[in-house]
Amino acid sequence: MRVAFGWLSTVMLLGLAAPAFAQTWQVDPAHSALTFTNSYQNVEYSGQFRRFDAKIDYDPNDPARAKFDVTIDITSLDTQNSERDHSALGADFFDTAKFPKAHFVTTSFRKAADGKVIADGVLTLRGVSKPVVLTVAFKPNGNSATLDVTAQLKRLDFGVGAGEWADPSMIGNAVTVRGHLQLRAEP
Amino acid sequence: MPLRSTEQGWGALVRAFHWLIAALIVAQGVIGLSMVQMGLTPAKVRVFALHKSIGITILALVLLRIAWRLTEKRPADPPAMPRWQVLAARAVHFALYVLILAIPLSGWWFNSVSNAPLVWFGWIGVPSLTGGYDPIWKPRALLVHQTLFWLLVTLLVAHVGAALWHHFRQRDEVLRRMVVGSREKTGGG
Repeated sequence: MRVAFGWLSTVMLLGLAAPAFAQTWQVDPAHSALTFTNSYQNVEYSGQFRRFDAKIDYDPNDPARAKFDVTIDITSLDTQNSERDHSALGADFFDTAKFPKAHFVTTSFRKAADGKVIADGVLTLRGVSKPVVLTVAFKPNGNSATLDVTAQLKRLDFGVGAGEWADPSMIGNAVTVRGHLQLRAEP
Repeated sequence: MPLRSTEQGWGALVRAFHWLIAALIVAQGVIGLSMVQMGLTPAKVRVFALHKSIGITILALVLLRIAWRLTEKRPADPPAMPRWQVLAARAVHFALYVLILAIPLSGWWFNSVSNAPLVWFGWIGVPSLTGGYDPIWKPRALLVHQTLFWLLVTLLVAHVGAALWHHFRQRDEVLRRMVVGSREKTGGG
């Protein structure tokens, strides 16, 4: 009876509980970073957003049920150049007076032919929502894990530096965004 | 018109260096003082890039000029020139050389600690002197760049004033030998 009950609860946990909730992870902000690379006057530079909030539900055995929901504080931009940071927050670029935050949420996860996990999602930046594709690399390590994501996007899709600043030889249109998250399993 | 300097006048190469660098310095002063007044537009970014490119050009030309000068003898001073004037002229010339090296270097330094791009006329990437952004040294580097510039302006007033004084009051060869070289027709060497 005891054995049977134990068996039954395992089945319930696996069959009912697990599919309902993928593992939820907490982000360790001290060891996580949201960075990007872009070019300015054809010279590559990198920057980061120092403050962001990420809700990560991910089970490597069942990525289809995963969900990432990330809110980025655009005003925390840091490109190691104070004039550039100040300018980038202005109305011609991120316009943080109107749009202080960006939001990314996944809509679905799939496996590419090469076995990589791909997340489709929607990024809302500067009031514009566009699909963005993430490449996902998840490495579990006991109760913790690292999550590395990469996305390619185009700043002009979101109206960042449109008009007289659109020239890509001045500011590159292509932006590579990388997230490196140190995760701890939520109890 | 000999390439090398003689006892009577400066050679063509020294004069070319002198006037080319002089013209670039005047342009740099005008560009530098105007560009900081501009509102943020792509034009401002381009004018800053031009200022940096001209500055690196001046630095390279000054280094070449000094290397060439080290192989040459300067023309003789006017016989009537008192010793203190000779010494003052040498001191100002030496200070001018120091400044026209130090001002582009300090600009390059300021650009480096600002973590700003530097591509010579959009063509050749110039590396950072410091390897990245340094918010502590950035305002200091700018202060050095600006202070040295105004020191240069002061010395140039003395330099140009002395040249004009030699030409119009002393009526000697000092200015002429930097403009046209020497009066004598020399066969070279």
